[in-house]
Amino acid sequence: MRPEEISKKTEQLVTIKTEDLAPLPFPYDTYEETPITPLKEEQKKKWEHSLDGVSALTLPKPETPEEEERLVKAFLSGLEKLMTKENNWTFLQPLMLSLEYCAKCQTCADACPAFEMSGRKDIYRPTFRADVLRKIAKKYLSKGGKILAGFRGHDIDLNWDTIARLAELAYRCTLCRRCASVCPVGVDNGLITHELRKLFSQEMGIAGPEIHEKGSVKHLKFGSSTGMTKAAVADIIEYLEDDIEEKTGKRIKIPLNKKGAEILLIHNAGEFMAWPENPMAFAILFDAAGIDYTLSTDLVGYDAVNYGLWYDDVQFARVALKHIEIARNLGVKKIVIGECGHAHKALSVIADRLLPGAQMIPRESSYTLLNDIVKSGKIKFDPSKNDFPVTLHDPCNAVRLMGIVKPQREVLNAIFPPGRFREMEPHGVENYCCGGGSGFAIMSSGNFPDWKRLVSGRKKLAQILNAFQGEMDPSIKKMVCAPCSNCKGQIRDMLESYEVYEKTGIWYTGLVELMVNAMVDQKKPYLEWPGEGDDDDM
Amino acid sequence: MGFLQILTYLSGLVFVIAFGAKLLKYATMPMHVRWELYPIPHEGKEWGGSFYEEIDHWKKVRHKDHMAQYRFMVPEILFIRALHEDNRPLWYWSFPFHMGLYLCIGGLIFLGFGAFVQIFGMVPENSALASLFQSLTTVFAVPGYILGTIGALGLIVKRTTDSNLTDVTAGIDFMNLIWLGLLFVTGFIVWLQDPGFNVSRAYFQSLLTYGPMKEPMSAIHVVNLLIFIGFWAYFPFTPMTHMVSKYFMWDKVKWDDDPNRGDAGMDSKIKKYLAYPVTWAAVHIDSQGGKKTWADIATTNPWENKDQK
Repeated sequence: MRPEEISKKTEQLVTIKTEDLAPLPFPYDTYEETPITPLKEEQKKKWEHSLDGVSALTLPKPETPEEEERLVKAFLSGLEKLMTKENNWTFLQPLMLSLEYCAKCQTCADACPAFEMSGRKDIYRPTFRADVLRKIAKKYLSKGGKILAGFRGHDIDLNWDTIARLAELAYRCTLCRRCASVCPVGVDNGLITHELRKLFSQEMGIAGPEIHEKGSVKHLKFGSSTGMTKAAVADIIEYLEDDIEEKTGKRIKIPLNKKGAEILLIHNAGEFMAWPENPMAFAILFDAAGIDYTLSTDLVGYDAVNYGLWYDDVQFARVALKHIEIARNLGVKKIVIGECGHAHKALSVIADRLLPGAQMIPRESSYTLLNDIVKSGKIKFDPSKNDFPVTLHDPCNAVRLMGIVKPQREVLNAIFPPGRFREMEPHGVENYCCGGGSGFAIMSSGNFPDWKRLVSGRKKLAQILNAFQGEMDPSIKKMVCAPCSNCKGQIRDMLESYEVYEKTGIWYTGLVELMVNAMVDQKKPYLEWPGEGDDDDM
Repeated sequence: MGFLQILTYLSGLVFVIAFGAKLLKYATMPMHVRWELYPIPHEGKEWGGSFYEEIDHWKKVRHKDHMAQYRFMVPEILFIRALHEDNRPLWYWSFPFHMGLYLCIGGLIFLGFGAFVQIFGMVPENSALASLFQSLTTVFAVPGYILGTIGALGLIVKRTTDSNLTDVTAGIDFMNLIWLGLLFVTGFIVWLQDPGFNVSRAYFQSLLTYGPMKEPMSAIHVVNLLIFIGFWAYFPFTPMTHMVSKYFMWDKVKWDDDPNRGDAGMDSKIKKYLAYPVTWAAVHIDSQGGKKTWADIATTNPWENKDQK
């Protein structure tokens, strides 16, 4: 399908059929997939869905031709702003280079898990949405753009269908940037998706509801994207202390708002709600290693997430600057980011050039600090307590986009018996996204969860299954270590949808939980496999 | 001075101005936020690691292995390694095409050297140096014509028949390939007519001396020259200048992992950018149509409830 066809007047451009999907390995090689749930008639009437029958944005349909026209103009205006230094100094240079220089070689296509696993649907090629934007820019914003537009390859119609499909299409890429890592001329189609999302949000107010209204807005309003208020955090921390006592027999005080501490530790607040064992494990480890740290209960300071990273520079900057301000007010020497991949990149890399150097504060990955704790010998580990097969998921943001590859591996090798840890293939900086990147893990509108299950999460599921081939007996318990909240959420959803634990014995957890489980001082097993505790989840 | 010489000068002038403007455009764009992609060769960690793997990395002196960048980039440019590793079917044609171009450029440079020494009376018949330049011109240009022709033909066929490429290939892409293919083919025919490149060298000499062209030029040679002149002026306006993205996207984007450590140059840029006016129109931005700067909107939390307990 040519990118120009995006403006075609048709009910639905593409249909995802289960028989087209790339196959999964044993024991799912004969698995009967559940297709994408079609939207209900009233949903179809309300929401744009003409790209692939999926609505991730619940984007309302314009009610009048005048409204359509206004939206088309707003889109063009946004595209113009995207190409000015005043409005987009943050990404102007890589954006303009990526718009100008695609060599149309399609090398990126095979690197994209969404394209591959969808059964090679053209609309999911990394170049497809980028080409649509390139063509619109050339035809409508460059001088003489309409002259010989067909021959020059950018004769695209700009209508509401084009824009509505493009908005949805901006949310069919996880921004993992595998495509950029193989491009022979350096073009970054992932970046173009990022910029497209920015255009929609910053000019037209269009974004995934879970990452904007229920995400960054909630974060700035209540203090956390989970909706958890400042007042609630202290209570939750107290519950965690009780739970730690129950699990370890030791009362540990989790320091809050401690002025002058060495470290401000910031977790993804989703951990407090979905996986409290994770912040508890951090507390146990830091206490045992004698680390001088604090958590913050200040607005925004107790949630490391920064959803603006995926769709809006302004929302991004607002949250990042709050994180830095809180750390400076506490007088800590560094911020350590918990097990949250995108928070790693947001605060360490992207926020690095938001303020003059003197106003910045050092940021460090928890993976690095945890490895330092292991190497210091301050905590004794008994690898035989972790005597089960384990594999490691590499969160794109921390690994390919930050180069933190070895620390988490060194930790696993120190806390597992030899031969128990095996890599997925490929891994490290060549890893595949969990399928929940760029906000997908928390996006659940319309029938988008079905798309994630069948398309974006499929490659990771295949990788996980491949890592344990030959040991698929469910009685052999196996673990995926996923040191990132969003990745964990996505992997949890995939494992549950496909009943992977029941069929194969594969479950998931973070890195610190595995560390505490291997601590010599930890008398009872810290890990709970499904069915062992009160809850299904650990 | 003849018409062809004037056209050649004009073409060169267009090339220099347009290509220079393009480089200037990208070189003067604002410093962007960091957007690196690993592995970064100068980090010196073959597994793709970075300084973030080290505890308290900001307290340590950074060691950048600059030679590693060249070890990566030289084979990338010469042999198109990325395509070789990730898109072999296309590399079979793209590599000879690009190598053909590089060799022809090499041949042109040696032709220029030969023309230069010829001004001082050194010709292949009486000078070892001139003879060397003549031989090197042949050694570079002739394989260049052959490889370039094979590559251009292969790419045309590939783009016509490969379903991965047909939908993304436009008429202009075929025109570019045909244009370069004709340049290679006519160049080869010119060499068959004039194996010592004597006429070409004389023409080059006339360009260097602003003098008349003394040697008669065959019709095919004129055609070859016109194809070259046209392409030289056209080239900077096309995405075929992707060496520009190859430089900036690697050196200034994917490999730009310099952390902000309070460097005065970086600080002054950041302060300048934060003072830029913002005109994004979405309600939550609250830019007030450019009345607010980046500093204003980034430090404002429109939803903060000061009374929240």
